[in-house]
Amino acid sequence: MKNWARLALAAALITGGTAIATNPVLADETCLSPYTASLIKGQEAYLQVWTLGEPGLGDESDKLVTVSVDSKSPHYGKVVSSVSVGDRSEAHHFGFTDDRKYLWAGELDDSKIFVFDVGTDPAHPKLVNTLTDLPAKTGFAGPHTFYAIPGRMLIGALSNDKTGDGVTGFAIYNNKGEFLSAHPIPTDKGGDGYGYDIAINPKKNVFLTSSFTGKNNYLRDLGDLIKDSEAMKHFGNTVVLWNLKSFQPEQILSVPGAPLEIRWSLNENDDWAFVVSALTSKIWLIKHDDKGQWEAKEVGVVGDPSKIPLPVDLSISADSKRLWVNTFLDGTTHLFDISNPEKPVEIYSKVTGKQVNMISQSWDGKRVYITSSLLSNWDKKGADNEQVLRAYDWDGKELRQKFEVDFFAEKLGRPHHIKFSGEAQKASLDWPTHAAQR
Amino acid sequence: MQLSCRHCEERSDEAIHATASNSALDCFAALAMTVRRALYRAILLLVVLAAAGFVEIQNPLAAEVPRAVGLPKPGTYPLDHIQKVPFGIVLEGNRFPHLLSHYTKGAITLFSFFYSACADPNGCPLAFEAFEQVRAALLTRADLRSQVRFVFLSLDPIHDQPEKLRFFEKHYAQDGNPVPWHFLTTYSYLFLNPVIRDMGEDIAFDAEASVGGGFVLNHILKVYLIDREGFVREIYSNQSLDPETILGDIETLSIEAAKTQ
Repeated sequence: MKNWARLALAAALITGGTAIATNPVLADETCLSPYTASLIKGQEAYLQVWTLGEPGLGDESDKLVTVSVDSKSPHYGKVVSSVSVGDRSEAHHFGFTDDRKYLWAGELDDSKIFVFDVGTDPAHPKLVNTLTDLPAKTGFAGPHTFYAIPGRMLIGALSNDKTGDGVTGFAIYNNKGEFLSAHPIPTDKGGDGYGYDIAINPKKNVFLTSSFTGKNNYLRDLGDLIKDSEAMKHFGNTVVLWNLKSFQPEQILSVPGAPLEIRWSLNENDDWAFVVSALTSKIWLIKHDDKGQWEAKEVGVVGDPSKIPLPVDLSISADSKRLWVNTFLDGTTHLFDISNPEKPVEIYSKVTGKQVNMISQSWDGKRVYITSSLLSNWDKKGADNEQVLRAYDWDGKELRQKFEVDFFAEKLGRPHHIKFSGEAQKASLDWPTHAAQR
Repeated sequence: MQLSCRHCEERSDEAIHATASNSALDCFAALAMTVRRALYRAILLLVVLAAAGFVEIQNPLAAEVPRAVGLPKPGTYPLDHIQKVPFGIVLEGNRFPHLLSHYTKGAITLFSFFYSACADPNGCPLAFEAFEQVRAALLTRADLRSQVRFVFLSLDPIHDQPEKLRFFEKHYAQDGNPVPWHFLTTYSYLFLNPVIRDMGEDIAFDAEASVGGGFVLNHILKVYLIDREGFVREIYSNQSLDPETILGDIETLSIEAAKTQ
């Protein structure tokens, strides 16, 4: 018999009561840091959308847009608030702190990081902090991935402030916004130094980083870039396996063609991850080989790789048997059966827009959300440049559109990354006045 | 439309409410509530039997502590200076005030928030389990044990009075207390709130889970490793609360301190 139960019981007898909390039913999105607490109970109520400002549209500023997705709300499918940050500098990705109370959001051009309080009132987030010291503290530029660890944020960058190429690293800040340490992506032993996503497997004490390209390329017009064969050589071709405790690189895996989003299996007994290479449109499985070493293995393709459909975002189902993949250039949302991760099979696809980028699904897999924008100079031009958030129901056979928010018509900009919020669940820290009355 | 179910016919309070509201969802919620209460009772019965020595069980309230692999050798990796432990006034054993820094400086400190009524398997019982395992390992390490203290600070100053927590502390003083374990509380939330806010803890009273006379605080399990100067050097969650990892980090801080002396 362990002591906690015995002592807690005795203590309870002294005060006359104890209580046992049950784990909440998980209904959150599936692609969060495993350290994220306070997961949503029940259905998500809001989507936060980190949005690029658009010249000549509204206030032209990058902004955090909040949309109601509670079907019982009179505001369902409508924008309920928008917080502009006062400049336009390539808003891209964002991520929750471990307490799920704050969203950290990055701008890829000027490397600013904005911290929004989302937990206090998810319908009306507030900008509470702006961090501008990433380049000065680290030499890195283009804060991209925000990945929570206890009390801290890992910030994966895409570039650097000297050459503007893809040699970069990740930084660690505490949740107060204070810089702690910088960790360059290795450039030796086969490493190219490039960065993009971060994904942790706590059980194995490892994490993976993938690799994209630097400011010189991602701020450039996509049409011009593709014609520049020299520039096209400057994309990442590696995934790095790191020791989580020491933050030291342990293995460099060859994954050619700009491997982007990484998704670990969410099953407790699995130790594999998927990554999809954008330029080669290939699905890679990262797992242990027969000798216990990690290996990256090509296991499938997305669409027709010869047409470079540009697979971008992934969303893995809670049971890790399905994987959504968006291909940007043909505006298609694909669904793969990954029950056998060695042989993913496409079982469904649908054109969901003229261009599609990010995709998120609910924990129960019944709701799927997509956005359209990739990068301001990579998005399509003219009539093909639709900028929308679309919400779908997934019944296991068909995506059925529930609503659409036209971000250009609403004078908001280009919608990019999506995160879910529940209704405010946080009582004030001053709550004990009513608790004391119990 | 009138909806009914067997559960409602049993006329529990929740079922009466559900019937009155004519809602199938409410009815299912009432059923879930009753099932959950039955679960509470079953677990409590198990605790009582175990406490009385009638059954031998693993800690029924704790989820399994995680086990990390591939850990680096202690002393070969840095631990960031994450933040300073804030100023605070705390109580231990009686109502005489002490500075929190009295318990977070001068030794390597393993620190956690807790409250004695907490029974969330992924909360305080898990922290307690990990602390006990680290303590057991430290007792075999003559080179480390005299450098380490444990501290629990209550999130529930209303119910966790100093006199009550003395009960916990006495238990660990029985074996000569080679690794001191302090159970602290505060006068009130006026004193506690600034500390938990600064340490990044977050609490909320869970009214739904507290139905039936319990007292449930939703909070995030965070265990802090603090160096001799009062800097937080590592934070563990229920995903990373591995005793071997913690022991390695304690040894790393010990080696670091030896190098600077």
